[in-house]
Amino acid sequence: MEVGKGKRAGFLRQVFYIVAKDFRAELRTKELFNSMFLFAMLALVIFNFSFAGKMPVRVLSGAMWVSFLFASVLGLNRSFVKEHEKGCIEGLLIAPCERSVIYFGKFLGNLLFIFLVELIALPLISIFFSRSEIFSKPFELAGILVLGSFAISAIGTILSAITVNTRTRELLLPILLFPLILPVLIASVEVTAYIFQPKGSIIQWLRLIGIYDIIFIIVPYLLFDYVVEE
Amino acid sequence: MTPVIEVDRLEKSFGHKKALRGVNLKVFEGEFIVLFGPNGAGKTTLLKSISTLIRPTRGRILFKGKEIDDGSISLRETIGLVSHNTLLYEDLTAFENLLFYARMYGVPNPKQKIEELLHMVGLYHRKDDVVRTFSRGMLQRLTIARAILHDPPVLLLDEPYTGLDVQAMKILDDLLYNLKDGLRTFIMTSHDIQKGFEHATRLAILHSGEIVFDKKKEEISVLEFEEEFWKWVKEKEPVF
Repeated sequence: MEVGKGKRAGFLRQVFYIVAKDFRAELRTKELFNSMFLFAMLALVIFNFSFAGKMPVRVLSGAMWVSFLFASVLGLNRSFVKEHEKGCIEGLLIAPCERSVIYFGKFLGNLLFIFLVELIALPLISIFFSRSEIFSKPFELAGILVLGSFAISAIGTILSAITVNTRTRELLLPILLFPLILPVLIASVEVTAYIFQPKGSIIQWLRLIGIYDIIFIIVPYLLFDYVVEE
Repeated sequence: MTPVIEVDRLEKSFGHKKALRGVNLKVFEGEFIVLFGPNGAGKTTLLKSISTLIRPTRGRILFKGKEIDDGSISLRETIGLVSHNTLLYEDLTAFENLLFYARMYGVPNPKQKIEELLHMVGLYHRKDDVVRTFSRGMLQRLTIARAILHDPPVLLLDEPYTGLDVQAMKILDDLLYNLKDGLRTFIMTSHDIQKGFEHATRLAILHSGEIVFDKKKEEISVLEFEEEFWKWVKEKEPVF
């Protein structure tokens, strides 16, 4: 028998295979998406009842982002747990790919789930809060959702990989994630409020999110080998 | 002749505990080496080190004379691993699991190859069932299919018979006999002396992180080997 044949897939292709694998498994169970979506909606309903009248735009954008962040934590917590069940992470680690492929695959998968939850939640937010103007600038809104969620997923994925081997991972992830993500959360709230009701300048907030996104995509790329090493 | 795998003074510590204490081992092409040893002897750690899953504390591992380092991507292409875990995703079907790994390894004509393998391990009729519904024996057969999907020249088997019933053991036996083609190299760990002896071309005993016995199969009978094995295992037993 001829042994050891085959041509290795490229970096991006391997990243795509990991995303597709996660997406396929999620399509079958829907456990992650359902819990993330329900959690986001429940948080928004509570916010809605807390405000008797019409909610100010800054508060609305704050409520949106806090709900999205809380929902994301649920997904991020499970992200590497699934890889550790039945030792699947070992299967990825012995696959002929750079270890950062695993990080980027998981990061993109998480980003996709977070973004999907946000997309489905937005029309409901518009109805709950009687805010049809949410969709007055759809591209700007989509832009900030992507930028903010990018940071949540980038930081959350590396922290999920770090905390997965600890007994208190469900507690540890938010404890580590929230302080790190706070500047991006504040900036995202500011930019979203500006989109709903333009006032002042948002350049410094966009710059902050941009810097965060760049840093937290480079740092895990450099550190992921050490994070997953036994 | 250059060994396919050469382990040179390999040491691995987990905190203060030394799992491997200067292991030396040369494995040549086509050999089927079976590593025996009591629990905690370092068998799994040794296999994990060879498969690049863990980084050694000291020493070297060479693959065809070339040292394994951080960028050992091409080495990983040549290794198939059957570990204690199945490395299979429970929410994916048997076919989807194999397709995922086939794509990661760049297996040509993956769908055809997967169908061949599923026939070979007797799981073709369950190819569209999610893995979480499989029995232990079925999982182990699928695990073997995953490990040999990319036709690796080196196969690392970590106690592959553990938890299998008689029928599943027979299927695994047949699979291993089919895979032994003189070109493929095997390193298997085992507690089962009969099974290990049956497959081996070479036998070794790992004890407290050191190789304390290493002989070709033709140099020793199964009874002599069993005696040797128990001598080392008894030595590990605590004295009250």
